[in-house]
Amino acid sequence: MRHTFETMGTVASLEGVDGVTTGAVREIFEAADARFSLYRADSELSRVASGALALTAASPELRDAYADALAWGTLTSGAFTPHRPDGVVDLNGIVKAQAIDRAGERITADGWRAWSLNVGGDILVGGPGRHTTGIVDPFDRETLLCAIELRAPRVALATSGSAERGDHIWLGGSAAPAEFVQVSVMADDIVTADVLATAIVAGGSPLLDEVTDRWDVDVIAVTRTGAMVATPGIRAALAV
Amino acid sequence: MRTRAVLGSIFASLGVLVIGWQAGNAAITSTSTTTTSSTPTTTTTSGGSSSGGTSSGSNTSTATTGSSSATTAAPATGATDGTYTGSSVNTRFGPVQVQVTISGGAITDVTAIQLTNTDGRSVQISNRAAPILASEVLASQSAQVSNVGGATYTTRAYLQSLQSALDQAGF
Repeated sequence: MRHTFETMGTVASLEGVDGVTTGAVREIFEAADARFSLYRADSELSRVASGALALTAASPELRDAYADALAWGTLTSGAFTPHRPDGVVDLNGIVKAQAIDRAGERITADGWRAWSLNVGGDILVGGPGRHTTGIVDPFDRETLLCAIELRAPRVALATSGSAERGDHIWLGGSAAPAEFVQVSVMADDIVTADVLATAIVAGGSPLLDEVTDRWDVDVIAVTRTGAMVATPGIRAALAV
Repeated sequence: MRTRAVLGSIFASLGVLVIGWQAGNAAITSTSTTTTSSTPTTTTTSGGSSSGGTSSGSNTSTATTGSSSATTAAPATGATDGTYTGSSVNTRFGPVQVQVTISGGAITDVTAIQLTNTDGRSVQISNRAAPILASEVLASQSAQVSNVGGATYTTRAYLQSLQSALDQAGF
């Protein structure tokens, strides 16, 4: 009962779900990709980027996603931003997580009781049980850094890195290497986890402290030298 | 006298701990300091050793080194076991008050007994990330996982990923 499909330039793995729900989940991602992908010249966001479509004339869905991204930018002191250094609006940092969130709502509404959805390394789980989930070692992608137990209410785990696909994290135009090569955030919802993981990679230690002070999330981060820092909640969730 | 020095040391460290724990906000004063250090009766039996070494000279307040009969086990015999409550301090998270438990001469527990913000909702103030050793997470690496999280991989990178292996195995 494992389904995999390509979407948003990566691969999604869906477990514990079958039937019409599988198709519905795929459709959620296809719709988001068609609207927001900057790799597709015909997507709505690509037309905004090229100037063919004014942002003010864009669909409510696009403008909502943009507003959400701006709000997260404010909350994270600008560490998270929907604006690329070249001025293009890039919503890649939020639309994938929003699609995962929407898929999770659909799966739950359809009554599935033990499921997981992993899209390109960002994971949402559902049901009353535990989901033992690995976090990859950023220095050796064939081994695990650690494994943690996801369980309600901590059902979301998102990871951002400065190594792979670092193009979607902009370090404020700075050429300095990121302090953290990988940041994983465990939270009650996938959008919060994903945005904050990205923001911490961009903002380094000061933002890590700000995030753990202000949000109810758990974080494990790996520095360039391979050292790790983790919040108490991560220690408590480590699999045995 | 030695006991007094040791107690001073313990409570000085306690103060540092509590202050540090509060992440630099206003200091909490331990209400127990005066009562416990007022009766410097030592139960140390050893007479030969004059090492000490537990009461580092770094502490300024009550450290008055006199007798040289204390052994390194002195802290365990000197500190009075019990639970001590700090005064309430206003922080940006709201009023904070902590309780420290000393058992066998060592701090065994630090608990927040008053920890609310203005909404009356309990908040965690010690949620900051701290260094964690590779050995601390080592055991978890052998857990059987059903998913692998990581920085977003491309479709191409997925093919070589652990997640791909899990998917193919159908776990």
